[in-house]
Amino acid sequence: MTSPTTVQNSQVQNTQRKYSPLKEFWKSFKKQKAALVASIFIGLLIVIAIIGPYIAPYDPFEPNYNALLEGPSASHLAGTDEYGRDIFSRLIVGAKISLMVSFSAVFLGLILGTILGLISGYFGGWVDKIIMRSCDVLFSFPDLLLAIAIVALLGPGINNVIIAVMIFSVPSFARLVRGATLNAKENVYVEAAQSMGASHVRVLWKHIFPETISELIIFVTMRIGTAILAASGLSFLGLGASPEMPEWGVMLSSGRDYLGTSSHVVIMPGIAIFLTVLAFNLIGDGLRDVLDPKIKNN
Amino acid sequence: MWKYIARRTVEMIPILIVISILTFLFIHFIPGDPARLVAGKDATLEDVENVRHELGLDKPILKQYMDYMKNLVTGELGTSLTTGLPVIDMFKTRFMPSLHLTFLSMFWATLMGLVIGVFSAINKNKWPDYFGMVTAVSGISIPGFWLGLLLIQLFSVQLGLFPTGGLDGFSSYILPSLTLGAGIMSMIARFTRSSMLETLQADFIRTGRAKGLKEHSVIVTHALRNSLISVVTVAGLQFGFLLGGSVVVETVFSFPGMGRLLIDSIAFRDYPVIQSALLLFAFEFILVNLIVDVLYTVLNPKIQLNS
Amino acid sequence: MNYVKKLVFVILCTLLLAACAEKDNSNASNTGDKSTTDSGTASSKNELVIAVNENFISMDPHNTGDTNSSSVQETMLEGLLGFNADGQIIKVLADDYSISEDALVYTFKLKEGVTFHDGEQFNAEAVKVNIERIMNDESLRLYSRGFSLISDVEILGDYEIKVTLKEPYGPMITRFGVAKMISPKMIKENSADIPKKPVGTGPYKFVEWVQGDHLTIENFDGYWDGGERVAKITYKPVPENGSRVAMLKAGDAQVIYPVPAQNIDELSNSKDVEVNKVPSTIAHYVSLNTYKKPLDDIKVRQAFNYAVDKDAYLKVVNAGLGLPLDSIIPSKTVYYKQQKMYEHNIEKAKELLAEAGYPDGFDIEIWGNTNSDTMKGMQFIQQQLGQIGVKVEIKSMEEGTLSDEIYGAQTPDDAKLQMWYVSWSAYASDITNATKPLFHSVSFPPNGANTAYYHNTEADQLMDEANSISDVDRQAELYEKLQEIVYQDTPWIFLGVDEVVYGVRSNVSGVLVNPTGGLDVKNAKVE
Repeated sequence: MTSPTTVQNSQVQNTQRKYSPLKEFWKSFKKQKAALVASIFIGLLIVIAIIGPYIAPYDPFEPNYNALLEGPSASHLAGTDEYGRDIFSRLIVGAKISLMVSFSAVFLGLILGTILGLISGYFGGWVDKIIMRSCDVLFSFPDLLLAIAIVALLGPGINNVIIAVMIFSVPSFARLVRGATLNAKENVYVEAAQSMGASHVRVLWKHIFPETISELIIFVTMRIGTAILAASGLSFLGLGASPEMPEWGVMLSSGRDYLGTSSHVVIMPGIAIFLTVLAFNLIGDGLRDVLDPKIKNN
Repeated sequence: MWKYIARRTVEMIPILIVISILTFLFIHFIPGDPARLVAGKDATLEDVENVRHELGLDKPILKQYMDYMKNLVTGELGTSLTTGLPVIDMFKTRFMPSLHLTFLSMFWATLMGLVIGVFSAINKNKWPDYFGMVTAVSGISIPGFWLGLLLIQLFSVQLGLFPTGGLDGFSSYILPSLTLGAGIMSMIARFTRSSMLETLQADFIRTGRAKGLKEHSVIVTHALRNSLISVVTVAGLQFGFLLGGSVVVETVFSFPGMGRLLIDSIAFRDYPVIQSALLLFAFEFILVNLIVDVLYTVLNPKIQLNS
Repeated sequence: MNYVKKLVFVILCTLLLAACAEKDNSNASNTGDKSTTDSGTASSKNELVIAVNENFISMDPHNTGDTNSSSVQETMLEGLLGFNADGQIIKVLADDYSISEDALVYTFKLKEGVTFHDGEQFNAEAVKVNIERIMNDESLRLYSRGFSLISDVEILGDYEIKVTLKEPYGPMITRFGVAKMISPKMIKENSADIPKKPVGTGPYKFVEWVQGDHLTIENFDGYWDGGERVAKITYKPVPENGSRVAMLKAGDAQVIYPVPAQNIDELSNSKDVEVNKVPSTIAHYVSLNTYKKPLDDIKVRQAFNYAVDKDAYLKVVNAGLGLPLDSIIPSKTVYYKQQKMYEHNIEKAKELLAEAGYPDGFDIEIWGNTNSDTMKGMQFIQQQLGQIGVKVEIKSMEEGTLSDEIYGAQTPDDAKLQMWYVSWSAYASDITNATKPLFHSVSFPPNGANTAYYHNTEADQLMDEANSISDVDRQAELYEKLQEIVYQDTPWIFLGVDEVVYGVRSNVSGVLVNPTGGLDVKNAKVE
C-alpha cells in the first residue's frame, strides 16, 4: 500500500537534491490542478482501502436471494449483484484488493524490468542480446498461455494474479529503459564520467538511470491502470482472483453477462476502475511536468 | 545497414530453434492431457490410451519434437489433434483477418495518437491539451471487453450500423479495430505529447527558434521527428502484440482470428496448433523488433547499429 | 518551409482518406443495412442464419463429440436410426429393425430409393462400408465405442443387413442413431475430406466451411423424403453471450442457441423474438468424494443436501430456469423414476453434521472449471454450506489443468478431489452412459467419471445385468431399483436439470432442440 508514496518520495528527493527543494516542487505541483485533484482522489481511495471493512454499509460477502440484481436505490447506493450482495460495499472493500494487486504487480515489474533494461542498454553485446531475446520470447508468448502456466504451477489465487500481471510488464519496462539508456549513453557527460573512471554501477545509477526516470514515471502510472485492467482480463478468462472476492476486475467480468439487462452490475465497477486509472494517469502527467528537468514551466 | 539487416535475419534462425524447443517443452510441461481432453469425461482408461496412441502422444518427447521439426523444415505444420485438419489450413483462414485487423487498428490509432499528442503538446495546459489527454486516458482505462460490448450495444443493437460480430466484409473490421486501437491510440498520444514537450525544450529546438525558423517548421522537422523515436518503440511493441491476435476482442466480436484459434487449441491442448502458432508469433515478434531497431537509426542517427 | 508543405499535404491527404473511408463506411453500412433488410425479405423465405455458442470441431460424423458439430451434421447426414424431439430412438434410413434376446444380433431393413448428395445409392453395401470404416479406422476408435464390439457385418439382401456383437452393449441402439451414413464413394476415394465437407443423404448438403467464422449448407433437391425447406442455412459460432443476443435482436441471426439465462426476460418481451425452453438431459451436481473423510460419512453428505436450497439454486444460478434434479438421472432419460427430494432444512443439516462429529463444521475445497456459470454455481454452494458452518474454498481451474488433477489420481487413495461442481449429459435414450461412468465401481478415475468414488456392490450388479439384456421391461425394473439405491446413498449434492433455451425471430418456425441440446432445423420455415 505504501509503495506509490515511497517512489513518489524518492523521486521528490531526487529532484530536491538536483534541481529544487521540496517547497519548489510543491509550488509547481500545485499548479497542476488536474493532478492535484487526482492525488486527492487517490489519497481518499487509499484511505477507503484501509478503513473499507469498517465503513461498508453491508457485508460484502452476504448474499440476499430476495434482492437479486436490484438497481441503485437509497438502501443500495450502487444496486445489488447477481447474489443480492451490495455492490457499493463490495466496491469499498474491493478497493484494497484491486490497489494491492496493481501496485505490487507494477512495482515488482518495474524493478525487474528496469534492472534488465539498464544492463541491456548499457553493456550491449551479448548481454543485451540475451536479455532482449528473452524479452522477445516472453512477449511472443500469449498472455493467456503464460497465465495458465503460472496459475497451473502455483495454483489459482490472488498472489498468482499479481505474478502473472508482473510478468506481463517486465519486458515492456525492460525495452523502454533499454531504449532510453541507448539514448543516454551517447550523451557527453556519460562518456566523461566513464573516462574519469567511474564504476559501471555509478554511471548507471547516477547518470543513466535519471535519464530514464521521466519515461518510467509516465509508464508506471499507465501500468498501474493497465494492471487493474489486466487483472480483469484474467478474470474474463476465468483465471483471476477467486470469484467471491470483491476485486474490481472480477466484479466487472462476472457482471458482463448482465450488460443488456441489469447494466449497473457492470457499470459500477467499470466506473470505479475508470476513475482510478484516470487519476493515476493525471498524477503521472502532473509529476512528469514538474519533475522532468528538460521541461521548464515557464 | 543492409548488412546489419541481413545479419539479424540470419540470427533469427538459431533464435527460432531455441524458441521452438522452449515452446515445445513449455507446452508439454503445462498440465493438461490432450488425449484425455479429446476422449471426453466419460472415457475409460482404454479409450484414453487408444487416443493417445492414435495421436502419437505415446512416443518419447524427443522423438515427437524431432518429428515436428522434420515436418516443419518441409513446410508441414502437422495435423490438429481436435479437428484432424492440417494446421496450415487452419492458419490460412485465420491469419489474414488478424493481419488486416492489426493494420487497420494500428493505422487509425497511430494517426489519431500523433495528431492528439502533437496538438496537446503545442497547447500545453490549455483546453485542447486537457481534452486530448482526457480522450487518451479514457482509451486506456476502459477494459477491452467492456468497450467492445458497449460498442456492440450502441452501434449494432441500437443503431444497426455494423454487424455484431463475425467476418463479413470491411464493416466487420470497424468495431473490433476501434476496440483494439483505442488503447494504442491513447498510448501513442501520451508518448507523443511527452516527448514533444521534452524536445520542444531542448537546445537545438531553441536554437532553431532563435535562428528564426517558423514554429511549424520547428515542430515538424525537429520536434516531431525526435519524438518519433519513442513513438516507434510503443507502436512497434503494440503491433507485435496485435499480430498475435487479441483473445478478448476476438471473443467479444466472435472474430475468426489467430487469438481465438489459440484459445480454442489451448483449451484442448491441441499441441501442433499451439506449437505452430507460438512459433509464428515469435517470428512475427522478432521481425517487428528488427524493424523497430532499424527505424531507431533512421530517426536518430546518433545511435549506431553495431554489434 | 518544404516540410510545412509536406505536412499540410499529408494532413490533407489523410483527412481526405478519412473522409473517403467514412463515406465508404456509411455506404457500406447503408448497403449493409439494405442488404440485411433485403435479405430480411429474401431470408423470409430462403435463408437462415444460426448463431451458436461454440466453434464446430469436425464434420466427420464418425469422429464427433460436441453437440454443435453434431447438430450441423444432422442436417446433412442421416443414420439408420435417429432421435425424435424427446431424444428417443426413431427409424430414419432403416425401415425396420429387430434385436435378439441376448442383445447380440441387430437386423436392419433399409429404406429404398435413397441417394447420397453425390448420386451414390444408399443400400446394404453402403451401410457395410460405413460400419467397417468405424470398426477399422483406428483414429475413430473413441467415437465408435460399441462398434469395436462388432464381430460380424453380413449383407442379407440389397436392403437388409445383420450386425453381430461380441458381447452385449446397452448403448448400441443409441450408437446406431448417432452413426451417420457417409457416401461409400467418399469413404473409398476421398476420406480425407470427410472432416471438412461430408457427403450424406440428408435434406441439406454442404456448401462451405470457413473455420471459426461460418459454415453454410443448402437445400438438397433430391432428398428422399421430399418436403419444402429454406434454401440456405448459415451457422456462425459466436461464443460471447452478449454478442449472440445482440445478433438476434439486430436480426443478424434468425436463430441463436443457447440463449443466456439472464437475457430470457428481456428477449421474451420483444415481439420480434421468440424464446423457447426445453428440459434437457444436462444434470448439474456436486460429486462428493465418498472414499475420504469427511465426506465418507453419509450423514455429512445428507447434511450438504439438506443445506442447499434447490429452488434458490435455480433462481440464482440458473436465472429461474430448469428443474430440481430429483433422481440420479434427468427426467428426460429413459427409465427415469422420481425420488423423494431432500427438502431445504438448515436445522436438520446442522443436526446431521453434529451427529457426524462436526458440530462446528470444517474446511473443504470445491473444484470446477473456469466457465462463468460454473464459478457462479460454486459461489452459491459456498454461500449455502457457509450457513451450516462449512467453509468452502473455491478452486476454479482451467479445463486442462482440472482434468489432470482429477484423472491424474491413479487410485482412490491418491485422489485430492473433495467436491467437484460439474454437469453430465448423455443421450436421453442411453441410460447406460448416464449411470455406469458415474456410479459403477469400475469407473473410478482415471477409468471413468465416478468422481464420488461411489462403490455399492448391489448397484454394480444392477447395472451389469441391465446392460446385458434387451428385455425392455426387465431393464426398467433394474434401473428403477438402481435410482432408489444410489439416490439414498447420496454420492452427490443433487442440484438441477437444465432447460435448454433457444431464441428465434418471430417469423421463423419449426426449429427444435432435443434434450441433448442438439439443434434441429431440418423442418425450419421462414415466413
